[in-house]
Amino acid sequence: MSERTFKRFCPLEELPPGAKKARNLDGVPVLVCHTGEGIFAVSNLCSHQEKFLHAGRVRAGRITCPLHGAQFDLKTGAALCLPATRPIATYEVRVVDGWIEVCA
Amino acid sequence: MNQPAKLGRGLDRCPNAPSTQEIIARDKHPAPFWVRSESYQFLGDEDIPTERYYDPEFAKREWERLWPRTWQFACREEHIPEVGDYYVYDIGRFSFIVTRVAEDEIKAFYNACLHRGTKLRASGTEGNTRLFKCPFHGWSWNLDGSLREVVCEWDFPHVRRESFALPEARVARRWGFVFINMDPDAPSFEEYVGEEALAHFDAWGMEQRYIHCHVAKVIPANWKLTMEAFMEAYHVLETHPQVAVSNADANSQYDIYGEHVNRFISCLGVVSPHHAGRFTEQDVLDQFTLGDSSFVADAERKLRPGETARQRMADLLREQFEKATGTSLAGVSDSELLDCFSYTLFPNTFLFAGISLPMVYRFRPLKDDHRKCLYEVFFLRPVPEGRPRPEPAPCQLLEPHQSFTEAQGMDPGFGAILDQDTENLRLEQEGIEASAKRGLTLGNYQEIRIRHFERAVDKYVGR
Repeated sequence: MSERTFKRFCPLEELPPGAKKARNLDGVPVLVCHTGEGIFAVSNLCSHQEKFLHAGRVRAGRITCPLHGAQFDLKTGAALCLPATRPIATYEVRVVDGWIEVCA
Repeated sequence: MNQPAKLGRGLDRCPNAPSTQEIIARDKHPAPFWVRSESYQFLGDEDIPTERYYDPEFAKREWERLWPRTWQFACREEHIPEVGDYYVYDIGRFSFIVTRVAEDEIKAFYNACLHRGTKLRASGTEGNTRLFKCPFHGWSWNLDGSLREVVCEWDFPHVRRESFALPEARVARRWGFVFINMDPDAPSFEEYVGEEALAHFDAWGMEQRYIHCHVAKVIPANWKLTMEAFMEAYHVLETHPQVAVSNADANSQYDIYGEHVNRFISCLGVVSPHHAGRFTEQDVLDQFTLGDSSFVADAERKLRPGETARQRMADLLREQFEKATGTSLAGVSDSELLDCFSYTLFPNTFLFAGISLPMVYRFRPLKDDHRKCLYEVFFLRPVPEGRPRPEPAPCQLLEPHQSFTEAQGMDPGFGAILDQDTENLRLEQEGIEASAKRGLTLGNYQEIRIRHFERAVDKYVGR
């Protein structure tokens, strides 16, 4: 087991509350959402048909896949409605020295 | 209207008590025209046959003739503020994707792929999109409903693009609400509501409100029976004894407007005629319960000599509410601050005017069980002045065993009232099915809304 490593995702100032951003962290597509409840990092791929989630609407702590409408809880990754039934990955996130860091 | 004598059918009113209009006329800040309106009419005193509450044949007729032909509250505009935002509204087997297709245009698409029928969006969901793509074979439609792509179009030479736009229900937008109607031949929304009721709703400014709290729960009773539990203040004495002292229950006012709207006005902050002479003004003030009592939690509640509980409550509410929400109540009457204005908009929506009880209710029969319904309560607060409109609160679905008081944002006193109403409903549904008597007997005045409502039901189901 490798120990948990956090990687720099982006400067905090690039992601004000209400914003979201997607990028690959060493090949892993990560989506970070800054909501009223905090900063959350999840997989940027919908568990339904592996389409990107980053254009989806974030509201009430959930993201909606823009293609088929599947919804996921940003905290737990749980699938909240059809057509998705499987969760998406969630990643630990922290802020260090003005940078958002993700353990992906 | 204090005569104890029998005046004739529908003309009698609660004896030895002031009328609603007399109570309101004493207020410091005078009430607007729609509060002062009176529009009661006697509609007969025959029993209401009860098979409508349990007979699957009756429910079937409702699904065929009532739900597809009436204007229904599908969502609020604030659910879909941006172009591409959508909200799925379901009623029985029917489902609509209510979509903002342009900045000032909303459409309601039948929620089904025109290829092999798959729902384009799951029921009960919302989101934002640039296109509606079927998850099965990938047929897709543009936001405006026009056909975008048929996968392997070479295999569908018989599909003419122009006739494969997503079918639409009609949409009406008013007071921040989006209403839909499946019937192309139905009257316009304005005609359906009627001129007089329209003027009432127009005066409330509900477009300047947002959903602060949204709670839903399955109620073990037919949707009509459930709605009727909220159509009179007659039950307050027995069902809600904790509020009866400070509610003008037996002298509430009942009105009907056209075929689809009725209402009551129930004054608060005055002693119930059932309790007249047994409680002081100070008792009334101490008993006062509000839909959102957090506004006056810390207020001084000792009355000065000669001061009425009602006026003190109005003054307190005005001051505290302005402070708490950052909105001005300068043009708002005491009656609007205090009283309960309960309106039914046929078939399944209640709209409440006023400040202390800012609710909207919606009732929908369950798709697979007409003896149960989904009851939703929305609390609509004014949008704070000079600040962006808050996002609408997401729906909290309570489990059948849960109390309304467990919902986040629900006033505990109000939640307890809803629990009491719900407990009655289970017993009423079961009792109606167990009874030797096959009809409901209604009071001529206090239960006129129920009779008026069931008349509209009969009109649509074609009895």
